[in-house]
Amino acid sequence: MRDVLFLAWRYLAHNRVKTVVLVGSIMLIVYLPVALRVLVTQSATELTSRAEATPLLVGAKGSPLELALSSLYFSADTPELTTHAEASRIAATNYATSIPLYVRFKARSQPIVGTTLDYFDFRSLRFAEGRNMTMLGECVLGSRAAEILEAGVGGSVVSSPESVFDIAGVYPLKMHVVGVLEPTFTADDEAVFVDLKTAWIVQGLVHGHQDMAAPEAAPGVLAREGDTIIANASVVQYTEITPDNIDSFHFHGSLDDYPISAVIAVPHDQKSGTILMGRYEAPDEPMQILKPTTVIDELLGTIFTVQNFVVAGMLLVGFAALATASLVFILSLRLRQREIETMARIGGSRLRVAGVLVTEVAVVIGMSIVLAGILTLLTARFAPAVVRVLLLQ
Amino acid sequence: MRLASSFAFILLLIIAACGGNGPEPTAPIAEEAPDRLLVYTVSYPLAYFAERLGGAEVEVVFPAPPDEDPAFWSPDAETIAAYQNADLILLNGAGYAKWVERATLPSSRLVDTTANAADRLLELSGTVTHSHGPEGEHEHQGWAFTTWLDPTLAIEQARAVAAALRSRLPESDAGIAERLVALEDDLTALDARFAAAAESIGEEPLLFSQPVYQYFIHRYQLNGHEIHWEPDVEPDGKMLSELGHILDHDAARWMLWEGVPMDATVAALDEREISSVVFSPCANTPAQVDWLTVMNANAEALETIAAAHRSH
Repeated sequence: MRDVLFLAWRYLAHNRVKTVVLVGSIMLIVYLPVALRVLVTQSATELTSRAEATPLLVGAKGSPLELALSSLYFSADTPELTTHAEASRIAATNYATSIPLYVRFKARSQPIVGTTLDYFDFRSLRFAEGRNMTMLGECVLGSRAAEILEAGVGGSVVSSPESVFDIAGVYPLKMHVVGVLEPTFTADDEAVFVDLKTAWIVQGLVHGHQDMAAPEAAPGVLAREGDTIIANASVVQYTEITPDNIDSFHFHGSLDDYPISAVIAVPHDQKSGTILMGRYEAPDEPMQILKPTTVIDELLGTIFTVQNFVVAGMLLVGFAALATASLVFILSLRLRQREIETMARIGGSRLRVAGVLVTEVAVVIGMSIVLAGILTLLTARFAPAVVRVLLLQ
Repeated sequence: MRLASSFAFILLLIIAACGGNGPEPTAPIAEEAPDRLLVYTVSYPLAYFAERLGGAEVEVVFPAPPDEDPAFWSPDAETIAAYQNADLILLNGAGYAKWVERATLPSSRLVDTTANAADRLLELSGTVTHSHGPEGEHEHQGWAFTTWLDPTLAIEQARAVAAALRSRLPESDAGIAERLVALEDDLTALDARFAAAAESIGEEPLLFSQPVYQYFIHRYQLNGHEIHWEPDVEPDGKMLSELGHILDHDAARWMLWEGVPMDATVAALDEREISSVVFSPCANTPAQVDWLTVMNANAEALETIAAAHRSH
């Protein structure tokens, strides 16, 4: 038996290129569909885990997918906006903890997420360095955001205009970085977290400027009507919040009228969640409430359907490749007819010669399967990280 | 042989990949909950209510320095971080403690104690506001914020504090309810004292040294004039002139001060036949006594004025 193995091994070693091509081809035929399934399953796990960790989302009626993707992954277009009154309304029911989100602006490529401190507790976010934001104009960076923006505690990041054509838009706000979060391998790593009120400053709804009642502000005054001063656009707003000017930052109108993109509702128990959902069932209700898992499951259903087509295509290609490999083996036997005759003449029985040839094929297939297995193991091991990177991008 | 060594290398790679450990877990953001409910407040009256209602089950912290006016005090980042770690943060509402607007606090732990009495808040007049452009929304003029000087509003605030405590300490529900009844009794008695004195005073004009007595004046329908004199600042000619204008219309004989005025100020008022009494809003922690004691002292001051009015 050792002689058969030796001859088969020597043949394969001598014809390295042919062996490598055959092993590589068969390995890929086995590996690709399996790896695709591993990656898709891992993607589904990642997407689902974020959705499962978010009990309910409330937002203005519109695309549920946009609302879910914007609120869970801070990606997709900004959904229809609602107002902070919705967060207050949910909190007032005492059925759920209400966590407002305002995901609309960016600091370069990174999403600025306006929220409350409850979000940090809700997502169990931990600090790698620094502390949580305490005052207007402070921000906390996710781990990836800190890398990409090249900023750390003590540094600063600047909000970006919504559009390059927004000439009359608000001034960018320079925000002070007071904390950097540990990696979570979720969308939180990409975010620039700010207080909701800071997000409204980014939008220009809350702002600070010189005292319009002061004599030096006279050129910026359009009119005085009783106790009201109407200022014109020449009034320069502060683009950075400092201890010297923070007292000048003020709100116009009620906070409940200020915009948010969604509310994460964390019901106190299952019954509370059901009652809360029931409150949004009225046909004239302008808000929608959704379970993120339902939306993500629908999305995954689509992904799995596409995956099945891809796998079916791969299997067809695989069969064709296997047929080609078989042809290679058969043609190889014809080319090696003289070699086979030589082995017979020097005393090799037909069984022994057949054994050598079968062993060569078996070793090639065996090596292919082992390598495919190794690659699959590696894929499974690193799939979470790869998928997280892909999802975050 | 080369193929065999490649295979061994891949095997080593797998072993290395499978054997990797994640980073060591670190401490979470939130600190461990203390044994007692940690309550932070933005004013001393709320701290007093929380202490009386919560009893031994709560630890009440009001971190403003005693020499600061909590309405205009700005805590540093460290103090705000301490507020963030509280189980419950009691706000006065009505725009009291402006720093709250500019700070990041956990909204689920904030309780506005005047939220249920919003229709009873008094809007400030005479403050300058502005809008941006003819169609811009006007900045709100703001509210008078010394709500607890109306004991009936103080009762509403105490009820809000009790409700917040009861929801967080369900096992202490009966005790909190019992203590709320006692506190309401005290506040009702205080209200009765104020009302009786105010009835005796009637339409007699009173001067108030600070514009913080709106709820007190409104509750007891006093003929009050609020000026802006500091107890530790001697009035200048302009201030005395403004006082003169008021006295031309209403010959007030009493000025109520938030703190003990300077001797020179007392003398200047004596010259105008105006007597000084201290009526403390007690927004910050008093040196030795508690809030109710200070309020009862205020009632005594008002009763002194009433007695003088009757004998006049």
